[in-house]
Amino acid sequence: MLTEFGKIFIFILLAAIFVIITLFISKFVRPNRPTKEKYLTYECGENPQGSPWVQFNIRFYVVALIFLIFDVEVVLLFPWALAYQEYGIYGFVVGLIFLLVLGLGMAYEWRKGDLEWARPQPKPPKLDEILKTKS
Amino acid sequence: MANTNLYQSLSLIVPEIVLTIALLVLVTADLIFHKDKKSIPFVALAGILLTGYFTLIQIGNYGFAFQTSASAFKHYGMFASDPFSIFFKVIVIVSSLLIVFFSFSSDEIQKITDRIGEYYALIFGMILGMYFMISATDLILIYLSLELLSLSSYVLSGFTKLRDRDSEAALKYLLYGAVSSGLMLFGISLIYGLTGSTNLYIINSLIQSPDVNLFTLAFAVILIFAGIGYKISSAPFHFWTPDVYEGAPITITAFLSVASKAAGFALLIRFVKTTFVSYTDPNGMWQLINVFDWKTLLISISILTMTLGNFSALWQDNLKRMLAYSSIAHAGYILLGLVVFSDQGLKAIFIYFAVYMLMNLGAFLIVMLIANKIGSEEIDDYNGLGFTSPFLGVAFTIFLISLTGLPPTAGFIGKLYLFIALVDAKMIAVAVIALLNSVVSLYYYVRVLKHMYLTSPTKDTPAVSASLPNTILVSALVLATLVFGLYFSPVVDAAESSLFILGL
Amino acid sequence: MINLIYLTVLLPLLGFLINGLIGRKIKNEKVIGIIGSGTVGIAFVIIILAFIETLALPVENRSNTVELFTWISAAGLNIKFAYLVDQLSLTMSLIVTGVGFLIHVYSIGYMHGDKGFWRFFAYLNLFIFAMMNLVLGDNFVVLFLGWEGVGLCSYLLIGFWYDRKFEKGTTSQAAKKAFVVNRIGDFGFLLGMFLIYFTFDSLNFKEVFSRAESFPVAELTFGLIALFLFIGAAGKSAQIPLFVWLPDAMAGPTPVSALIHAATMVTAGVYMVSRASIIFASAPAVMMIVAVIGLVTAIMAASIGLVQNDIKKVLAYSTISQLGYMFLAAGVGAFSASIFHLMTHAFFKALLFLGAGSVIHGMHEEQNIQKYGGLKKYMPKTYLTFFIATLAISGVPGLSGFFSKDEILWSAYANGGFVFWLIGAITAMLTAFYMFRLVSLTFYSKERFDHHHVHPHESPAVMTVPLMILAFLSVVGGYIGIPKVFSGEHGNLFEGWLEPIYAPALAKLATFGSHSHLEEILLMAVSVAAALSAIYFSLYVYTKKLQIAENVSIKFKGIYYLLWNKYFVDEVYEAAVVEPIQKGSEKLLWKIFDVKIIDGLANGVASLVESGSGIIRKIQTGITQFYAVVMMAGIAFALLWLILSL
Repeated sequence: MLTEFGKIFIFILLAAIFVIITLFISKFVRPNRPTKEKYLTYECGENPQGSPWVQFNIRFYVVALIFLIFDVEVVLLFPWALAYQEYGIYGFVVGLIFLLVLGLGMAYEWRKGDLEWARPQPKPPKLDEILKTKS
Repeated sequence: MANTNLYQSLSLIVPEIVLTIALLVLVTADLIFHKDKKSIPFVALAGILLTGYFTLIQIGNYGFAFQTSASAFKHYGMFASDPFSIFFKVIVIVSSLLIVFFSFSSDEIQKITDRIGEYYALIFGMILGMYFMISATDLILIYLSLELLSLSSYVLSGFTKLRDRDSEAALKYLLYGAVSSGLMLFGISLIYGLTGSTNLYIINSLIQSPDVNLFTLAFAVILIFAGIGYKISSAPFHFWTPDVYEGAPITITAFLSVASKAAGFALLIRFVKTTFVSYTDPNGMWQLINVFDWKTLLISISILTMTLGNFSALWQDNLKRMLAYSSIAHAGYILLGLVVFSDQGLKAIFIYFAVYMLMNLGAFLIVMLIANKIGSEEIDDYNGLGFTSPFLGVAFTIFLISLTGLPPTAGFIGKLYLFIALVDAKMIAVAVIALLNSVVSLYYYVRVLKHMYLTSPTKDTPAVSASLPNTILVSALVLATLVFGLYFSPVVDAAESSLFILGL
Repeated sequence: MINLIYLTVLLPLLGFLINGLIGRKIKNEKVIGIIGSGTVGIAFVIIILAFIETLALPVENRSNTVELFTWISAAGLNIKFAYLVDQLSLTMSLIVTGVGFLIHVYSIGYMHGDKGFWRFFAYLNLFIFAMMNLVLGDNFVVLFLGWEGVGLCSYLLIGFWYDRKFEKGTTSQAAKKAFVVNRIGDFGFLLGMFLIYFTFDSLNFKEVFSRAESFPVAELTFGLIALFLFIGAAGKSAQIPLFVWLPDAMAGPTPVSALIHAATMVTAGVYMVSRASIIFASAPAVMMIVAVIGLVTAIMAASIGLVQNDIKKVLAYSTISQLGYMFLAAGVGAFSASIFHLMTHAFFKALLFLGAGSVIHGMHEEQNIQKYGGLKKYMPKTYLTFFIATLAISGVPGLSGFFSKDEILWSAYANGGFVFWLIGAITAMLTAFYMFRLVSLTFYSKERFDHHHVHPHESPAVMTVPLMILAFLSVVGGYIGIPKVFSGEHGNLFEGWLEPIYAPALAKLATFGSHSHLEEILLMAVSVAAALSAIYFSLYVYTKKLQIAENVSIKFKGIYYLLWNKYFVDEVYEAAVVEPIQKGSEKLLWKIFDVKIIDGLANGVASLVESGSGIIRKIQTGITQFYAVVMMAGIAFALLWLILSL
């Protein structure tokens, strides 16, 4: 007899086979008339500008990370909001501390200039420069 | 109802709370004193001293925090405060204290004064991670604390950004850490799948039943061991160590090699002891549950680790890299203390760690002081230094001899107790291999001495002299290394009284 | 004060640290001297107070342990750093600090102007530190610490004038000889300690000795332990066959000879035997060996002393001979007599050496007694004190030496038999003879030194005052041990004081035969008469008729030659032990075993390790992907092993 996992495994297998078979069928059935437009990457109707493999500005990642942190924070706040009444003032204080710590993180980012798109002077210290200023 | 429980739990994690508050104060101070950061290191120092105080106060206040809701295991929790954890926490906090002192005079750290707040905040993040790691008795908490420690270390190892290899080190560390933590998480999920719990005590009682799937369990355990093995840099998970140790600032290298390793070992020991040991007999021997052959795994890993570490260290020309390999080898020795599965072995590990902390930090301190002056850690630049800088030369000699494990230094005592434990457990062959490894290690430690003392100084050889605080620091470490080599009963007594691990 | 006993150890250590570390910078000799002798002086005062305090205690409470800390705690071995304050250790510490203090003071004058003045006092203080550990230690390990410590100091101080010549070699050769010979003894001592730990599972005195009484241990085991311990004692206390180092030890400065090689260190062996009396008492055969070796050493050294011409050499052989006496006493079970003689000997022998030092000082470093003569009028104080000491050592009634020596002779007769007594008495006669030969040739007879170059003079007060104090002690020191025959109901005070220490051993021996008082007095009279006649004869020959001495030496040329060359012991050792070892180690061990096998092995292993490390290092490529691959391979390997082992 199959276990529950076994059933799922068959399900996955079938799904994969189904996809492969359909792709193959379409490959054999469809007509093949390529044009230049058809090979272009679809960008909402705009003409693509250069290769998509470019280096993104690092600030995208920073903002994405910050967003992620506060996103998760909200997720954590939901269960707390549902349960804190049971714990009374104590539960409230715990949540408050949590928010304060996060707020401190926010303030930290703000103060450090990580929220600004164009940082005033994004200059990492270089060894020889430091040596020069020292001497 | 649940509140009293929570209060009690909080009383057990006071040191961790203090650490967190100190971390927050550091961050806030960093924000407030935006221009002048001279006071930040002292805030950090105060935080560490306070934490140390509260850690010591914790002695005698033992128990589980955050107890499980499962009715049969009501008294077990996810955080254990016991003598075992206090010992390791003291090791961690003392080395943190020393690292802060090191940072005061490190040239590398002086160059990043504008980011000093972050530096200390991240160090506090590491300490917090270690503290939780040492006490964690739940796989989730284990994983979280491991990640907290790792993430802070990734950033710190590339923190100075003075050279390319710093960033390379940080990136390698991150990639490698991601792989191993992924493996560990996979292992944890398998264990959860098998037993339906993440609490080590519950897992322990469940795997004693005969119908547990041994293969899956072993697979999961090996994966979890990969995560821990990476933290204690045991072979074959040690590859990041030399690169990271060489690239990171010396203060962080020293910290990683002692505190981080101590926390990793504490985690490993607790994981093995609480999950896989059914009971401790009156002789202090741990009876393993017969589900996984820990003994063979650990013996082969430790022999592999110390041999790889020692043999690779032989021809290293960079002292930081050499010390990195030496720390890998030491991890191999320490693993042997676990291999015997007895209280005696655990005692040997305690003693070894206390000693290892002193001598390894001492060696790194000297390397740092010399690098401050000559800007290099290459062994050829040490030629004749023993004559021009007699004080540091002699101190370095003592630390290296202690690392080799020769009397009358503390290193000898560490090795002695380890070998006694091995011989008492009738593992003579292993003891002999470890002994031979020590002999090999003598070569590369003495090689440094050869460069310092057997090469005559030229007129270009710089004279490195330590400032007064550093002289005191070095002297204190040297003195401790020598005193514990002769009068070691306090260490032994402390180790003896810290053997107790909550639970079984 | 008993609880402060550790100060008596720490103070000399402090003195050593001060003088040793910053002594070179202290230019003032007075300061160094005061630090050096002051620390010992204070220690002496503390010991006296502790002594008085102990005296006030009832007899059964007189043995106290002062624990300092746990020294070694490993598996079953638990060794405390603790001091045992009892009758025996107090007696010894009184001698060590008391005589030591006087010699320290004396040295201020004697070493005046020496370039190593600070070094000398540092070493002396270190010696006192080690010696106090030796006598106060409450277990064999602390005793051994002191034992090795005094050996080290002895080595350092014999070679103190490392740039001077000594006889055929240098002082450092003499120092090395002392060290090496002592190592042989130490080896025996160590074996004894191992065996004690093996048998009694402890190294603590009290535990070992109480177990020695109660444990069912074979006599052979006791015999072996006692024999090994005695080998150690023989090395330290210069007994046959390990006595050869002591005459050479005279290469050191004279105060060193007085302190270390006469009064204190060399008596450590006697102390150890007496401390372990119960073990020796349980091994009657070894007791016999101890007695015989002591006796033979005594008479042999005394006979060598008859013909030597170096003033310090004569005293050195005399010391060996007197140490032989002490072992004789211990060997026949008269432990308290041996300690009693140890004490009186410390007084008069230290005095003799210091007096000799004063003479050497006044004679511009000349040590040959054939080049002295008639010094009585130049140095009256030295003469007087030296004369008193000579009377004491010769056993003239009323002085300290008489009481202690007589007690030993009586015990030898009572427990050993007539032959023991006879040889002992002959030794006493020889002693009296060579001592008065020394006095005559030095202070009487006609002046034989070169008046143009040598101007004998009396030493300064800082040297003569200690001499006088020691002379006083040499006279009265014996009265605390008046034998029962004379003191009647009070008994022998000294013996009574030490009795609790030896009670178990004496109970085990219990062979003291009953002899009448008349016998004792008769024997005493005979030995006194013999000593007095020897004194008379010696004085007669060496002051009036030197001709007789020369005639005798020509007539008994063979014997004279034998004695003059010290029975050729050094030469025999050289040919029988040193040479074969040297040859064997050079030809076989060095050229073949060491060079070919050991070096070959070592070099082979080294190159193997080197090439192995070359391969292993290549694994560390620096490429992260590769690391991950190896890590996965490791896990895969572990899994494979898992599957195979399931």
